[in-house]
Amino acid sequence: MFFGIGVFLFWYLAYPYALSYQEQYQLFLWTGDYFCERISVPGGMSEWLGEFIVQFYYVEWLGALLLAFLFVALQRVVWCTMGAGHYLLSFVPSVLLFWLLGDPSVLLGYVWALLIAVGAYALNKGRGMKSLMADALLVPVVYWLAGPLAWVYVLLRLLGGAWRLSWMMPFYLFSLQMMACYWLLPQWTAEMVFQPMQFYRIPLQLSTLMWVIPFVTILVVLFSRQKSAAWLIPVEGAMLAVLCWLSIGSGYDKDMYELIRQDYLVRNERWDEIVKRARDYQVRTPFWSECVNLALSQQRQLAERMFTFYQSGEDALIMPRTRDLTSMLPSAEVFWRLGMVNSAQRYMFDTQESILNARKSGRCTKRIAECMMVNGHYQTARKQTGLLKKSLFYRAWANEAEAMMRNEAQMNAHPVYGKLRKLRYKEDFLYSYEEIDKMLGLLFMNNQENHMALDYFLAQLLLKGDMQGFTQYLQLAQQYGGYRYMPIGYQDVMKCIQQQGNVPGSPYAAYAKRMMQKGGGE
Amino acid sequence: MRSGAISFFRSLLSLWLTLALFSCSSMPENVKTVEKMPAIYPDYIGVTIPAGIAPLNFDALDEGVGCMDVVVKGSKGGELHANGDWVDFDVEDWHQLTAQNRGGTLTFTVSMEKDGQWTQYKDFKMTVSSDGLDDYGLTYRRIKPGYEVGGDIGIFQRDIHSFEETAVLTEHILPGRCFNCHTPNRNNPDLFTLQIRGEGGGTLIQRNGKQTWYNTKTDSTKAAGSYASWHPEGRYCAYAANAVHQAFFVGNGQRIEVYHNFSTVEILDTKTNELILSPLIQNGDLAIHPAFSADGRTLYYSTSKPCRVPAEYEKVKCSLCAIPFDASTGTFGEQVDTLLNGPATDKSYTLVRPSYDGHWLMYTVSSRSNFPIAQNDADLWLMDLKTGEHSELTEVNSRQSESYHNWSSNSHWFVFSSKREDGMYTKLYLAHIGTDGKVSKPFLLPQRNPLKYYRELMDAYNVPEFISQKVEFDAREAYRQVFRDERVGVKVRGDK
Repeated sequence: MFFGIGVFLFWYLAYPYALSYQEQYQLFLWTGDYFCERISVPGGMSEWLGEFIVQFYYVEWLGALLLAFLFVALQRVVWCTMGAGHYLLSFVPSVLLFWLLGDPSVLLGYVWALLIAVGAYALNKGRGMKSLMADALLVPVVYWLAGPLAWVYVLLRLLGGAWRLSWMMPFYLFSLQMMACYWLLPQWTAEMVFQPMQFYRIPLQLSTLMWVIPFVTILVVLFSRQKSAAWLIPVEGAMLAVLCWLSIGSGYDKDMYELIRQDYLVRNERWDEIVKRARDYQVRTPFWSECVNLALSQQRQLAERMFTFYQSGEDALIMPRTRDLTSMLPSAEVFWRLGMVNSAQRYMFDTQESILNARKSGRCTKRIAECMMVNGHYQTARKQTGLLKKSLFYRAWANEAEAMMRNEAQMNAHPVYGKLRKLRYKEDFLYSYEEIDKMLGLLFMNNQENHMALDYFLAQLLLKGDMQGFTQYLQLAQQYGGYRYMPIGYQDVMKCIQQQGNVPGSPYAAYAKRMMQKGGGE
Repeated sequence: MRSGAISFFRSLLSLWLTLALFSCSSMPENVKTVEKMPAIYPDYIGVTIPAGIAPLNFDALDEGVGCMDVVVKGSKGGELHANGDWVDFDVEDWHQLTAQNRGGTLTFTVSMEKDGQWTQYKDFKMTVSSDGLDDYGLTYRRIKPGYEVGGDIGIFQRDIHSFEETAVLTEHILPGRCFNCHTPNRNNPDLFTLQIRGEGGGTLIQRNGKQTWYNTKTDSTKAAGSYASWHPEGRYCAYAANAVHQAFFVGNGQRIEVYHNFSTVEILDTKTNELILSPLIQNGDLAIHPAFSADGRTLYYSTSKPCRVPAEYEKVKCSLCAIPFDASTGTFGEQVDTLLNGPATDKSYTLVRPSYDGHWLMYTVSSRSNFPIAQNDADLWLMDLKTGEHSELTEVNSRQSESYHNWSSNSHWFVFSSKREDGMYTKLYLAHIGTDGKVSKPFLLPQRNPLKYYRELMDAYNVPEFISQKVEFDAREAYRQVFRDERVGVKVRGDK
């Protein structure tokens, strides 16, 4: 009970953004096709179950609750397989999984696979003919449900000395894997067939813990048959406490999760929290700078405070394209709000296609659909909404979007889509990241009510160290920026220009100095 | 996100209700007849098909239609009946009917039930050509129609006489790698080439089941081979070697401009592992899309003058050229013929594909670019090699891009890709061409449940090729070779 509450509170209060991160890299569809596609491969059922749970991460408390149930279920199942003593050891696999899930590439299907494998052993621990018959059936079934983690079941049966011919079970499972390898999975490497790689988002890679946990689980079950002693209880308790401490301390990289948190806050447009958090903790990366700058811009504070926060360089506002599943997300959000709809679509599309286990992303698909809607590409947008309609949590939006696409007046009057249609470029030309400052300037000239474009344009000039350009275009801020007074950040820059950078305590002077030391900048 | 919890139970209930729907089973009664054609997807009305093709199943476009009932009668006999949510013919019965009516027509009587009322539409016909299509099927690449990240790419083969699709090579086994499509020698599955790009990349040639991996990049040619065409004898394979890039529009019309910084055409002699070059091709211009003629004596290709891309993307205009090739000596001829002049006509002529009977030259015409699939105005044209006359294939073109065409083994059918439906997700169409050059209305590659299939498919098809038999390919061996990174080197003929 306490364990379950602890797990729930951990995910719900401390790491809700970790749940959001996982949720955004899959799109669970409530269709028979989706189910059949998943279960058509060994271990696919565990994948499906994992994805089933992860879809509920969209509602954080629900996701945390289901995770708590899953962890408690594993602990209970492990306990069922153990002897009478060593109760605390039954928590060890769950705590190790807790550690493992700190790696954001680990998929929840792994937990299900382990649960199924251990659960099968809990159902069939006995000896005799009935168990023998059950083994003949369970080994292929567990293999199909749990994939390579079926070895946990087989080894537990083997090492548990279940029956005289139990040594044949590894050969049985190995034969099944070989048959799958050659007849069913021609597009899988042997490593994929024999190792639980399908539960890791990055192909052909595995976390070391994914090897360790099955063996520790087996050891725990076997060790539990040893007679317990009173003195062992505090030792096991201390060991468990250390393991918990290690799990949270080592499993959850602080900087990485800080970036995941920033992205989560951007996704939910919690701008105040981003800025507040940025004051307390910074991760000196372009990703972090982008999130903070976007939050500042949404509060119209970019001109005022930008350089009071860490700026990574010329990529602090918009990053060049990077082939991974996370880096482009803040830039895509920036493009979207600026009115660079095509670029937002491109970054979201490439982000989605960078999910190396070939899953769709609900977040990306929704934004891609929105971009297509703003551009009036309704046929392709409907393809995306058609997909979203088969999900649980994007369904309502997709239905609304489809209704809206049938009503052009409603589209134009929409507070976001209608506005973006006015902010878009009117002239068509080729995007150039090297000339992003010019593109931002042109975007502003295209619609002089686009204050975000103006702020970003001047900010990009400052990041680039283009003082001449900044001085030349500063009047635009005065004329169109809507400022009652010259923003303090701009005043600081002007002072730096006048005093050639010798302004003690100046945030911009500090930035310029840092850039010059890096060999770039002015 | 938390607000999503409110609608959770409602959504769940709604989904259960959706799942609870069952298929229709009613037969037409009290039928009202109307004098208009049925609105069906795909539009198979008036198309010409080969006998033995997979059933041309179709759906009602009107989502309110609950049930469909179709009777097909052959002009030479035979009848077929289908009734259900969509029209799903039995494969064997369909084959029998089309075989019986080879050279004749099939008449479709379509009735649809909507809100309890059955309506019978005007009959439509489908012609069963007397020209067969005996190839096993098609190979093609399926790729997300994205930008710079290919995503879950795969080369697949499809039995066109049924609905069976199998993977030849997918990114699942080669994660993070980009590969272009399998190019067979005149639809022969026993000899083909394909190119893997990126880390561990290389040019694969599979001959009679044996894979050989080449590094076709040399100091002189700067890049590995990409677009390919086999000499009919199977010893030589022509490649374009180039560097492909993309640029992106900011407006809401076009999305992508694809351009090449450099491109040249070379021939690989697979016997000596030598690259054969010609100063007439390696002259500083950008040569691309090589294709051997049916007799192997001519190599067709497109060429454009170099310009500052991407800035001058509108200036890329390809001419269609031909250069003689002597397979006995492995040498190019001394003269290049310009068949169609791009700059002079302000057009770009690309992706030339000679028919295997030596009669036709099919190519793509667009207003610019040497990558026509990205051009909305790309259309298919046909040149009669006997007369030199050429004309647009208006029967198959649309307002969107048509390209990546290829010929069946008997040269009476061709497959091409088109973005006609939505401008983004390329699909495959097949069309018939008579000996007189008359081209029929194309039909979309059949699927079991086409509306569902194509609506849900998030991939675009490209580079389709007919194959006479099923391709046998060991994807695991390809994986091993890619990671082993051992390549057969090539050298330019004449270099020491």
